[in-house]
Amino acid sequence: MDHKLVIDTAVLAGEILLKSGAETYRVEDTMKHILNTGNTETAEALVMLTGIVATMEDPGVQPVTVMRRVNDRGTNIYRIIEVNDISRKYCSGKMSLEATYAALKDLKRRQYSTAVYNIATVLVPMGFAPLWGGGLKEVAASAFVGGALALLMTVGKRLRAGGFFLNAVCAAGTTAASILLGRLYPALNVDTLIISGLMPLVPGMAVTNAVRDTLRHDFISGGARALEAFMTAAAIALGAGVGMLLMQMVDPGGAFL
Amino acid sequence: MTLILGIAGSFIAITGFAVLLETPRKYVPLAGLAGAIGGGIYLYCTQKEMDVVLASFLSALAIAFVSHVFARVFKAPVTVFLIAGILPTVPGTGMYRIVYYIIENDREMCGYYLLQTLEIAGMIALAIFIMDTVFRFRKPQRERGAD
Repeated sequence: MDHKLVIDTAVLAGEILLKSGAETYRVEDTMKHILNTGNTETAEALVMLTGIVATMEDPGVQPVTVMRRVNDRGTNIYRIIEVNDISRKYCSGKMSLEATYAALKDLKRRQYSTAVYNIATVLVPMGFAPLWGGGLKEVAASAFVGGALALLMTVGKRLRAGGFFLNAVCAAGTTAASILLGRLYPALNVDTLIISGLMPLVPGMAVTNAVRDTLRHDFISGGARALEAFMTAAAIALGAGVGMLLMQMVDPGGAFL
Repeated sequence: MTLILGIAGSFIAITGFAVLLETPRKYVPLAGLAGAIGGGIYLYCTQKEMDVVLASFLSALAIAFVSHVFARVFKAPVTVFLIAGILPTVPGTGMYRIVYYIIENDREMCGYYLLQTLEIAGMIALAIFIMDTVFRFRKPQRERGAD
């Protein structure tokens, strides 16, 4: 068996999982299973939030070690499920090593078009408005706030803006749009609008995974994810603050919120 | 009425959020259902004038439970339902209020919401922790990779 290809497949699977926001133990588990099919005496996978190391070793033979640095992480549940499926098929012998590697390489990046994505971005604030004390008029207004957010996100992604900056700008835009709507229609509850509008940006995934990683004693990844969640939260807070101050400066005479 | 609107809202919101996370189509409504259950419990608890922290804990507990059940019934990783479903409880409100009171220069309220946000985050962690542990007990060894 080609050890180099086994380790390449394992590292590729691990890289996709880590970039898609899988929990650390899942990445290690999947890699370990693939590495074990090489039937070497030692097969180890070490995954931290920012990188992967895998090694295979037989007595008397040069060990094979591959390391990958993972920089950008997002959330893509589709890819997590697919990699899970492929690796399980491979480990149970239903798929050849070459086919597995090719399948991992050809994995689709996204399954929804930008339009669907933007509609979803509008739906999230609309849905959350009633939960944060809004009535039907807040739901309608949230649609506009969500639209502003979708626009900012699409433009930001086109320009390849970084995570922190993009989050801050989106939060600032959402807040400003909400306050603007509140000025135009004073009957609206601006608090509800802002909070609902910020919900798509909230670091839910980082928080959840931070807890689950820590629970599995992956302390380095858990701590890193907690820090990641904190950074996102700080970006949103910063953006919201900038948005509020901006609207205050535009119309100093207007009542603050 | 508010409760029904809130539950319907959480369903729509979490369905939308699940799409943002690139959840496969067949799991999107299920994630929405998990979110609707959590949102409904949260809203019901706050309507009964329960403390926000406790309400968050209970709804996070319910969401984690439902996610684990769904994961077993529909043979998908727990993450699929948990990440989207937990969103109604994530303290976005607190984050916004902290900033608001910083700008208003109200240290006392800012501190209050800072503490509350940390408490809620801790409660969510505790809820996930409890459910993960409970479900790990009754899981046969060979299926370990499945959650």
